[in-house]
Amino acid sequence: MTRSFIIQLRLIHPAILVLLAAFASCRTVYFPSKAEYSSQRITKDLSIDSSLYRIVRPYGDSVEKSMNTIIGTVRQTLEKEQPEGTLGNFMADAYLTMGAQQFDKPIDAAFVNFGGIRLQQLPAGPLTIGKIFELMPFDNVLVLQQLSGTQLQSFLDLVAARGGWPVSGIRFSIRNKKAVDIFIRDRPLQPVAQYWILNSDFVASGGDNAEMLKSLPQLSTGYLARKALIDYVALQTRQQGFVGAQLEKRVIHAQ
Amino acid sequence: MLSRKHFIRQSALVAGGLLTAPLWAEARNAASRYRLVVLHTNDTHSRLDPFPMDGSRNQGLGGVDKRAQIIKQIREQEPHVLLLDAGDIFQGTPYFNFYKGEPEIRAMSYMGYDATTIGNHDFDAGMENLATQLRLHARFPMLVCNYDVSGTPLEGNVKPYQVFKRGPLTIGVLGVGIEGKGLIPDQLFGSTVYLDPVAEANKVAYILRKKEHCDLVICLSHLGNRYPTERKVSDEDLAKQSEEIDLIIGGHTHTFLDKPLVYTNKKGRDVMVNQVGFGGIILGRIDFEFSKFSSQKILKTEKIFISSKSVV
Repeated sequence: MTRSFIIQLRLIHPAILVLLAAFASCRTVYFPSKAEYSSQRITKDLSIDSSLYRIVRPYGDSVEKSMNTIIGTVRQTLEKEQPEGTLGNFMADAYLTMGAQQFDKPIDAAFVNFGGIRLQQLPAGPLTIGKIFELMPFDNVLVLQQLSGTQLQSFLDLVAARGGWPVSGIRFSIRNKKAVDIFIRDRPLQPVAQYWILNSDFVASGGDNAEMLKSLPQLSTGYLARKALIDYVALQTRQQGFVGAQLEKRVIHAQ
Repeated sequence: MLSRKHFIRQSALVAGGLLTAPLWAEARNAASRYRLVVLHTNDTHSRLDPFPMDGSRNQGLGGVDKRAQIIKQIREQEPHVLLLDAGDIFQGTPYFNFYKGEPEIRAMSYMGYDATTIGNHDFDAGMENLATQLRLHARFPMLVCNYDVSGTPLEGNVKPYQVFKRGPLTIGVLGVGIEGKGLIPDQLFGSTVYLDPVAEANKVAYILRKKEHCDLVICLSHLGNRYPTERKVSDEDLAKQSEEIDLIIGGHTHTFLDKPLVYTNKKGRDVMVNQVGFGGIILGRIDFEFSKFSSQKILKTEKIFISSKSVV
């Protein structure tokens, strides 16, 4: 080891060798002896760097313009409520209706996790894309999974235990935190039947404790949940001239 | 009319002033020669514009163009500045949904960031996208030493550490990332392998101190400040179990610290931990002053004197 070290050194110019030796014997070291902290709050009154402003502004203008684009009109304020609400029904209907155009499978039902609804209401009046981004800021995609009746029952029990989530294509009652009287496409749940169920990839991958879905294969076209909402607004506007959903006793508390 | 005595005193003052002026300048130069200003952010989360004026707690705060202006002013006064970030640059405003991080990275390059580390949300638009944004728009490295990214799109686009020279000072900067399991969806984390951040950081810090002869070792961390109830590795754990790290710039937990926390490392030396909330609301600043030693022996008992900078 020493030998090869010497050989290597010999390849270097003698002048550098002298310098190296000098450094090795007496290298200057610096030790941090004092530290002062003084953080700066970035407040409104501070002046701006106009060059960076000019770099960022075109992006911001384009984002703002898109966000302020009106894509439809909400007729009656849609509310986020449990076990069933108009805002949730609107979203679940959007997932089911638009999802049906993405997959070549007959989708039986679509779900929206209640916690993933990020607005309390969608107020009556003009609806902007920005509002849809507030409602659904996450870039989750819609995925399809095949469940047996038994697996679907276990997923519905989770939904029931969590107070009821928005659904489309399915109706049931909550009794003792379990799902009962379940109808899919108006027919009672069959334990041995197979169902195609649409969820966000977040839920389908086991989010919100949906452990029973985690190991099931997922079909995906990369279709964003938010895109489904925007596309559904366009569809409703074309078909009926406004955006809306009704309370239909999809999920109720059993008497 | 000036009395003779007064005149003499005045002249002496003027002469003295003339004599001492260059000395003063030299003294100031010497001081700044050995001073390093570390500026830092974390969890900026696509917050390019200030928080909107909607009555919320942070309304009107932040904004990259204001941050840039402050950084520029500091650089005009201080010759030796390091500008660092602790990850989660992405996700949080529609800028990210539309442009997948391009304006965020461009703004950081413009501001002259020297390094960042990788946050869990920086995976949000996929590793391929992150690699592309870094390749096209970043004029700074993304540092992480405890993710094995071999065979992923990030291979060659991140590295464990970088050494910086600032005047006579040598500064080593490394990065550590948080465990992806349960936090970063599998399809986004891909075949990235998470390694023990403490073990890896210690290995790299040793290299920086002993092989690269760094005078200061800084770790950019996206581990999170402290986890009192969870079994997760935090900056506190890293600080206590570290050996050669002087400063940890933290992130992930969006913690606003009034002043840096100080821990004792495995060798009995001080380690500072700082974190400045999120959204670019605050630019962290720590001024280090270095003492010069003319031999290899480092005083083992030397303590860093830490204080709040008096506002002048």
